[in-house]
Amino acid sequence: MITFEHVSRRHGERVALDSISWHMDEGECVVFLGHSGAGKTSILKLITHEVRPTSGLVTVGTFRSSRISRSQRALLRRTIGIVYEDFRLLSDRTVFENIALAVRIMGKYSVEDVVPLVSRALHEVGLDGKQNAFPSELSGGEKQRAAIARAIVNRPAVLLADEPTGALEKKSADDILALLSRIHREGAALLLVTTNPAVAHALGGRVMTLEEGRIIAGDPRMPRTAARPETGRSTPPGLTTANGA
Amino acid sequence: MHVFFFREAWRSFMHHRGLAYTAILALTAALALSGLFVLLAHNARVGLQLVGDRREMVVYLNDGVSTAQREELMRRLGELYGSVAYVSKDEAWKEFSDQIGDPGLLESVGGNPLPSSLRVKLRPELLNYEEMEKASQQVSQFPEVEDVRYGGDWVRRLDEIKNGLIRGAIAVGSVVALAVVFVLYNTIRLTVLARRPQVEIMSRLGASDRFIATPFVIEAMLEALISGALALTLVFVFHQALAAQIGYISFLPWTWAALFLGAVVMLGWLAAMLALTRVLRSVGA
Repeated sequence: MITFEHVSRRHGERVALDSISWHMDEGECVVFLGHSGAGKTSILKLITHEVRPTSGLVTVGTFRSSRISRSQRALLRRTIGIVYEDFRLLSDRTVFENIALAVRIMGKYSVEDVVPLVSRALHEVGLDGKQNAFPSELSGGEKQRAAIARAIVNRPAVLLADEPTGALEKKSADDILALLSRIHREGAALLLVTTNPAVAHALGGRVMTLEEGRIIAGDPRMPRTAARPETGRSTPPGLTTANGA
Repeated sequence: MHVFFFREAWRSFMHHRGLAYTAILALTAALALSGLFVLLAHNARVGLQLVGDRREMVVYLNDGVSTAQREELMRRLGELYGSVAYVSKDEAWKEFSDQIGDPGLLESVGGNPLPSSLRVKLRPELLNYEEMEKASQQVSQFPEVEDVRYGGDWVRRLDEIKNGLIRGAIAVGSVVALAVVFVLYNTIRLTVLARRPQVEIMSRLGASDRFIATPFVIEAMLEALISGALALTLVFVFHQALAAQIGYISFLPWTWAALFLGAVVMLGWLAAMLALTRVLRSVGA
């Protein structure tokens, strides 16, 4: 589902990721643990194609970083749900409108579908009755629940979580982890990055430790044929490229 | 879904009212200036059309022209240039007498010296100096014709005024069009930058450029439409004030007003597309 092959990412002189290779399958739970600046957020940005690798190849489903257009990038992002530490809810819209925006962006649902889809997502995260609240009227935990509802409303194949409990007190953080764990058990692949070892191990997924842009512990589980020096043209087994190559 | 985009456009407009009102004010001023010029050009055109309709060519006949020759000439001129009316010597004298009015003065002329003539009301495509000059030279070649008059200098001056107005309208229109695009380009750019967090979130949720851009395009077109309507209102107020001072002047026909508004809205669309093509690439990473 997601494969990094000898991926490096540099910002000028600074190396964010240094030729890392790893792979995750559909429905899997993977956690990247590392201190600030270890390269965790760069991994998420590479998956969503906010940035391109300086070298190496990122493959997400059928999309490859070497040949992705802006319109394909939008399509890719519609298959991914993402949750941020700072929630990133739109402050001038209600909870309902924030989640409905993600449904509308999908472009495949009719107007009549919006209400049941949003209501179901709100129910799944335990925010029934909060649909008309604005983000400023919610607690930190509730904001993150709303953000998770927005991320899962379109049933993404994979849910990315960037330090989802970083801004929450312990009780809310535990609740959010329990919620993410449940969503994963129901079938979605989950990729979480965190600085907190307790959070990393709470989900029971495969944990890889990052330090200075390298994976220093954990099983990257690279398929054998993909783990070779990157030419930018290899295709991981079991995956087809966007152009069918 | 279309309702959604209009609602988003309205939300953005209300969010940045200050910016939107400033843009509308600037656009209204520029468009009102151009609207005044359009009003002037329209009235000049109406005036010139009235005067132009009276333009005719007078063909003076030799004294010895027979009725058959005259009728043959009228037929030829009718085919080539337009409708032809015969004015006999007596009719010409009567017209002249009516214009002069003073019997003593008329008696001093001592008889009717005026020749009979043909008045040719030229077809519209011949109502310009070059064509009238050419027609005049051709007609003077007929043996029955003594002289041809059409007021060449006067016709040339009318044509110069008309061409000057057309050039002025194009120049003012172009400058105002550029100003409209410039103001709206920057307004939409600033609006997108002010809503950068929203644009980034939408982009990360998988929104296409078109999905993100559509409300901003609608907003630009809405601002252009409001500015155009306000400008037309100002022009109407000016028209009413002027009409009270100098008498009848005509307001823009509704087709002109609709074209004016349509052009302004299209400029709004163009400005928004130009701005969004650039700004979305930097904002919606």
